Amino acid sequence: MVSRAAAAIRTRPRREREAEVLVWPDLVFIEFISALIFSIALLVLSAMVNAPLLNRADPDTTPNPSKAPWYFLNLQELLLHMEPAWAGVIVPTIALVLLAAIPYWDRDQDGQGVWFGTKFAGRLTVFGFTAATMVTSLLIIWDGSLHVIWTENIIRGLGLNSDFSWPGGLDWFRNLRGFDTGIPWESLGFSIGGFTMFEDWRAIPLGIPGTTTDPWLLNLNFPSFLSQQLIPVATMVGLPIVFVLFCKALGWIHTRRDIALLIFSAFIGVYLTTTIVGTAFRGQGQDLKPPWDIVVLEE
Amino acid sequence: MSNLERAPRKSFNDLIYDLIFKNYVWQSIFRTGYPNTPRNQMLAVATNVFLHLHPTRIHRTHVKITHTYCLGGLSFFMFLGLTVTGVLLMFYYVPSVERAYQDIQALESNVRFGQLLRNMHRWMAHAMIILVLLHMMRVFYTGAYKPPREFNWVVGVVLFILTLLLSFTGYLLPWDQLAFWAITVGTTMVGSAPVLGDESKFLLLGGFSVGPNALIRFYTLHVIGLPLVISIFMAVHFWRVRRDGGLARPL
Ligand code: HEM
Repeated sequence: MVSRAAAAIRTRPRREREAEVLVWPDLVFIEFISALIFSIALLVLSAMVNAPLLNRADPDTTPNPSKAPWYFLNLQELLLHMEPAWAGVIVPTIALVLLAAIPYWDRDQDGQGVWFGTKFAGRLTVFGFTAATMVTSLLIIWDGSLHVIWTENIIRGLGLNSDFSWPGGLDWFRNLRGFDTGIPWESLGFSIGGFTMFEDWRAIPLGIPGTTTDPWLLNLNFPSFLSQQLIPVATMVGLPIVFVLFCKALGWIHTRRDIALLIFSAFIGVYLTTTIVGTAFRGQGQDLKPPWDIVVLEE
Repeated sequence: MSNLERAPRKSFNDLIYDLIFKNYVWQSIFRTGYPNTPRNQMLAVATNVFLHLHPTRIHRTHVKITHTYCLGGLSFFMFLGLTVTGVLLMFYYVPSVERAYQDIQALESNVRFGQLLRNMHRWMAHAMIILVLLHMMRVFYTGAYKPPREFNWVVGVVLFILTLLLSFTGYLLPWDQLAFWAITVGTTMVGSAPVLGDESKFLLLGGFSVGPNALIRFYTLHVIGLPLVISIFMAVHFWRVRRDGGLARPL
C-alpha cells in the first residue's frame, strides 16, 4: 500500500521545465497590476459612495422590514418558507458539509485543471444554473401567493368576472401554508372497525406525557409539519434528484464530475436567487415587492 | 550581465545602477541585485519572505489571467487592506454602547479622511466576500479540488465561513439601527437550532439579546479572534497550494 503522500506526488502531472516561466517578473507583475486596479476601483467607490449609518441603535424601534446582512439574506429568505430550525441552521450546515465533501466523493482525475473539463460541462452548468434560478423564482412566487393575485387581476381585468376571487376549493394551492390552513383537516379523520384514526390531525400523540415538554415531541401537528417541514425538505432533496435524472436521460451525465457540475451550478443559482430576492424584493412584513416600492418603516 | 564582461569604462546608467543596487545597505536588505537576470529574479522570489509564498517558477498556463482571474490572490489582498484600514479604525473607535455610535459619527465628520477610511473598510469587506465566492467557483469549475487537493478545498470552505463571520461580527460595531437589527435577526436564526440553539445564541451575545456584552464579544472576535484564526487557515491554504504541486493542471 502506498502512503497518501506518495500517492499525492504520483497523481501530479509531470513537471515541464521548458513550459515554466519565472514568477518574477511574470506573476509578480500580474499580481501587482490586479492589486493596483482593485485599490483604485475601491478608492473611487469609497470616494463616491458612503457606508450607511442610520440612527443610533434603539431596541424599542424595530425597522420593518428588519434584515440580516446581505450575505445571510438567502437564509432569511429560506426562513419564510420553512421551519426556522431548517432554514437558519440545518440547511446551511448540510450545504456546507456537502460542499466540503465534494472532493471526497468526486475523486477521479478527469477534467482537472482546465475550465469546464468534461464534454457536457458547459451544458450542465448553464442548465443547472438557469433551471434552478427559474424553479426557485417560481416557488417564491407561489409561496408569496402572487399567482393568486395575478389570476384575480387578469380575470377581473379582462372583464370576465368583475368580482372574481380565488376559489375556496383551491385554498390549499394559495401558498405553502395552504396545505395547513386550506385543507379541512378536521373532517379527515376515519374509522377502522369502530376505532377512530387521526381524529385530530393537529395533535397526533407521539410522546408519553410527562417525559417531555417539547410540543413537537409530545404531539405532532401534522398539517403544520407537512407545510413547514415535509414539503420544503422533500423539495430541497427531490429537485436535485429530478435534475440529475433529467440530465442523465439527456445523456449529459457520465461521471461524478458531471453530477457535481450540475448540482453545484444549481446551488449557485439558488444561492443567488434567494440572496437577490431577500435583498431587493422583500418589503414590509417580508412581502414580495418590486425594489422601488420598498420603504423601511420604524415601528 | 556580470561585472567582468562589462566594458572597462562604466556608462552613466551603470554608475547609477551600481550606486543603488550594489551598495552595502541595499545588499544587506535584499541580498540580490536588481532582479534583471534569471538568477537574480529567482533569488528575489526565494530570498524574500513575502514573495517566497510563490515558487520561483510556475507553469505558463497558470500565469494566464483567465485561469485564476487572480481571485484567490485578490481575496488575500482584500484581507491585507482590511487589516490596514481596520487598525486605523481602531484608533478612533471604542466598543461601548455609550461611545460606539458617537465615535463613528465623529470619525465621519471630525477625522481627516475618516469617512473615506470607513468606506474603504466597508466596501473591501463586501468585495472580499464576493471575491472569495468567485474564487470558490473558479476552483470548482477548473476541477482544482480533485486529488491531491481535497484537503485544501476543505480549508477553503473554512476560509469562506470565517470570511462571513468576520464580516458579520464587524456589522454590529457602528451600533446604528442597521447594525443592531441585522445582528438581532442573524442571531435569532442561530437560536432556532434544534440542539444547543439557545445556548449558542447566549454564548454569542453574552445575554438574551443584543446589548453591551454582545458588542464587546463581537468586537473582540472581529479585531483579534477571527483575524488570528483566518490567518492560520490562510497560511495552511497557501502552504498546501505549494505542497500539492502548485495549481492544478491536466495530467
Ligand atoms: C479567504 C479566502 C481565500 C483566500 C485568501 C484564498 C487564496 C488562494 C490563493 C491565493 C490561491 C492560489 C490560486 C488562485 O489565486 O486561484 C488559492 C488556491 C486554491 N483555493 Fe483558495 N482562497 C480562499 C478561499 C477558498 C475557498 C472558499 C475555496 C473552496 C471552497 C478555496 C479552494 C482553493 C483550492 C482548492 C486552491 C488550489 C487551486 C488550484 O490548484 O488551481 N479557497 N486560494
